[in-house]
Amino acid sequence: MINRQMILYSCLLLLGVFISAVSQVMLKRAAMKKYPSKIKEYLNPLVIFAYALFVGTTFLSIFAYKVIPLSIGPVLESTSYIYVTFFGATIFKEKITAKKIIALIFIISGIVVFALAG
Amino acid sequence: MNKGEKIKYFFILHLMLMLYSMSGIASKLAAGTKFLSFKFCLCYGVIILLLGIYAIGWQQIIKHLPLTTAFSNKAVTIIWGLVWGALLFHEKITAGKIAGVILVVIGVVLFAKADNETEKEQENIKAVDEK
Repeated sequence: MINRQMILYSCLLLLGVFISAVSQVMLKRAAMKKYPSKIKEYLNPLVIFAYALFVGTTFLSIFAYKVIPLSIGPVLESTSYIYVTFFGATIFKEKITAKKIIALIFIISGIVVFALAG
Repeated sequence: MNKGEKIKYFFILHLMLMLYSMSGIASKLAAGTKFLSFKFCLCYGVIILLLGIYAIGWQQIIKHLPLTTAFSNKAVTIIWGLVWGALLFHEKITAGKIAGVILVVIGVVLFAKADNETEKEQENIKAVDEK
């Protein structure tokens, strides 16, 4: 099932998941700021750029689905937990616990098993 | 919250997660059309609609259910992916795929539980600091 084209298009979806995580970080940073009005909470460069990135990722996944099966999509999307952990620790000073690492190992091994044995 | 309410929000949570997973169907359908054709735009509209309903629904759900419950159950979307792929796009469900999905689901549930624990710890630290 694995061929070069499949790997390439899977990487596109993975890139989309990464960009989507970056946009989530931007939205979270925006949510932590104080804005003078309710409208400014939504209509500010950071939030607009974050949503633009998010829209971009929807196109990336459509493009990826030209080749990859639907069933692997949500499996690859679970790589978001890796970025959540990484950005959580580096930007938002959240702790990386042993339990989180174990959880990530399960997720990554699941992806590998799905891709190789599926 | 009484048991009936809990069941109600749990049901809504799973309805939302199913809708979210269906945005994948629309993406896969869009992938089979010409970029920016009428069919493409229709599929894209459905994607945005489903994601919008999900986002609003999710905001409501996390007001009524514990975050760990909400995030753990999110793992079900991986199973939906397998089901939609098999039902609608003739993708094969193999033992390897099922094994992979089980591992990822366990990972997501463990992550949600671990995340909840660290959050509680940080809240406790904050509370002590404020004292």
